Amino acid sequence: MKKGLFSGIKEGFEGFGKIITTIVNFFLLLLVYIVGVGITSILAKIGKKEILSKKLHQEKSYWSDLNLNDSNIERYYRQF
Amino acid sequence: MYILGISCFYHDSAVALLKDGKIIAAAEEERFTRKKHDKSFPINAVNYCLKSQGITIKDIAYIGFYEKPMLKFERIIAQHTAAFPFSIKTFLSAVPSWLNEKLMIPKVIRKKLNYKGDVLFIDHHLSHAASAFLVGPFNKAAILTVDGVGEWTTTAYGMGEGNKINLMKEVKFPHSLGLLYSALTAYLGFSVNNSEYKVMGLSPFGDMNKETNLYYPKVKKMIDVKDDGSYRMDLSYFLYHYKDKMPSKKMCDLLGGPISPRDCEMTQRHKDIAAALQLVFEEVMFKMLNHLYEVTKCENVVLAGGCALNSVGNGKILRNTPFKQIWIQPNATDGGTSIGAAAYVYHTILGNKRVTRMTNGFLGPQFSNEEIKYFLDKNNIIYNQFSDDKELVVKTAKLINDNNVVGWFQGRMEWGPRALGARSILANPCNSEAKELLNLKVKHREKFRPFAPVVCSDDALTYFDCDDPVPEPTDFMLMVYPVREKWRKIIPSVTHIDGSGRLQSIRREQNPQYYDLIKEFGKLSKVPILINTSFNIRGEPIVCTPYDAYKCMMGTGIDYLVIGNMLIKREDNPQDIWDSESLAKD
Repeated sequence: MKKGLFSGIKEGFEGFGKIITTIVNFFLLLLVYIVGVGITSILAKIGKKEILSKKLHQEKSYWSDLNLNDSNIERYYRQF
Repeated sequence: MYILGISCFYHDSAVALLKDGKIIAAAEEERFTRKKHDKSFPINAVNYCLKSQGITIKDIAYIGFYEKPMLKFERIIAQHTAAFPFSIKTFLSAVPSWLNEKLMIPKVIRKKLNYKGDVLFIDHHLSHAASAFLVGPFNKAAILTVDGVGEWTTTAYGMGEGNKINLMKEVKFPHSLGLLYSALTAYLGFSVNNSEYKVMGLSPFGDMNKETNLYYPKVKKMIDVKDDGSYRMDLSYFLYHYKDKMPSKKMCDLLGGPISPRDCEMTQRHKDIAAALQLVFEEVMFKMLNHLYEVTKCENVVLAGGCALNSVGNGKILRNTPFKQIWIQPNATDGGTSIGAAAYVYHTILGNKRVTRMTNGFLGPQFSNEEIKYFLDKNNIIYNQFSDDKELVVKTAKLINDNNVVGWFQGRMEWGPRALGARSILANPCNSEAKELLNLKVKHREKFRPFAPVVCSDDALTYFDCDDPVPEPTDFMLMVYPVREKWRKIIPSVTHIDGSGRLQSIRREQNPQYYDLIKEFGKLSKVPILINTSFNIRGEPIVCTPYDAYKCMMGTGIDYLVIGNMLIKREDNPQDIWDSESLAKD
């Protein structure tokens, strides 16, 4: 019975912890979105910087250079 | 040297294991978890790969991961920044999973697998390219990869020679031919990253004439295509770059109606939109391929990426471009990148010569007759045992010729989305009611969707207007060709409305038992062709284990199950274990 009681309490705390984590994460991400993403976006718009190349144009081609041919192992340890 | 390739966390998680450059095992996680397109970390698929070779994670020299997570994260942040403040909802839903696991891949891999070796990150489209070139048949080939999106790239082309790949040019997000197809798939009421092939199957019911299809110019408005096949989307028609919905109100206005609800009745308008999309898709693909030929002057081409599963377009490539030979990765979507990442590590990064050539897709789990017998006996399942292979083939051919629907569970499970004769449902294509029967009693899928024929390679040109010689991707059900006029009425169940068939060709060396079965059926019916459809019901992954197969048979209208050297008759066993009709979903 004691074991059941303790595991019930443990599960309760874990559930409570998850709820708190979700709430905290939500507000932190909201802050990041408004401050980080928002300010960057506004500055980009003021500076007329195009973050995604959306515009259609009249040039002959939309292909852009990629040149992905480096087989040096060091490049592939990186996640970027 | 063992190398593991892993793709996960987007859709179709999968694992491939290479031994000294040879692919020795590969499987998608969905087959084990029974969740279609499962994107979770493929722990079951890893365990299968290791167990199948009797090795442990300590034997793995490198793990190749199929993309560069930080580059992808950069793109996600960029698209949310560009759409501020309208992207708030997707930002809050997408970013936590990145912070929890997607940006910590080495940590996740180490924790889940207890792996202590090196993890190498191969660019997404490079993984696709490697999955098509490094395990394909050509020493030198032009390469085209087209999918929804990887990190930034959505389309790339280049050249492969020996063990080197050079991807020269790209089209970047938010412009994506794959996402155009997905957006219109969503508009027509189908699920994205799942049902694009249904739209392809729907298209022949629409008007395939560019001059008369009213929606063709409308779909063309959504994409600006240059003569060299490069393209950009008119993003005012789409929302996918910042919302969890793909078509915009402007697209709805252009196409004359709101987004169709799921499972709605397909009207002529839906069919014409599907046809217009397929026409535009093929037009862009052929332009890109013609440009690629101009650049590379190479007569071989290899394809990968989700768009390379468009078998209707694939069947027309050799007739619409100067390329003479083609090869396509059978698992061309993200699952296939696990093979690409592993092969790229072994051949290109470590500089080893190419040794492997993917000639079949039988890379998954298999079960011995003893294991199957143990399962059947343990569950009191009534069965008969064949005395030998010959009896198995002769009796099964007769059952199919008598218009029975037969579940066929033999050998190693297939790699990729198509059942190729290891986990298949087989039926008589000459039976005019077979299509209805399979659709209603077994597969529970949309009425418009055709079934695929399987034919021995040496007979393919007799019945189908294929390219000659029959291209290898046909072995993986990746090419649609016209059924020759005189056979269309004889094999109505596998002839689509436009007279085409998505055939699988099979060579004896790939699967002798399956080949012999088709030939034996041919002796009885005078037509050596079978209906081959995947062993599952709609919405369920293809069966993997004897349990999955038995469960599927008992819940559907499959009459017999040929499993290993045993034959199970549905009628002999207690039925209604589960109600497959209620479980069938998109």
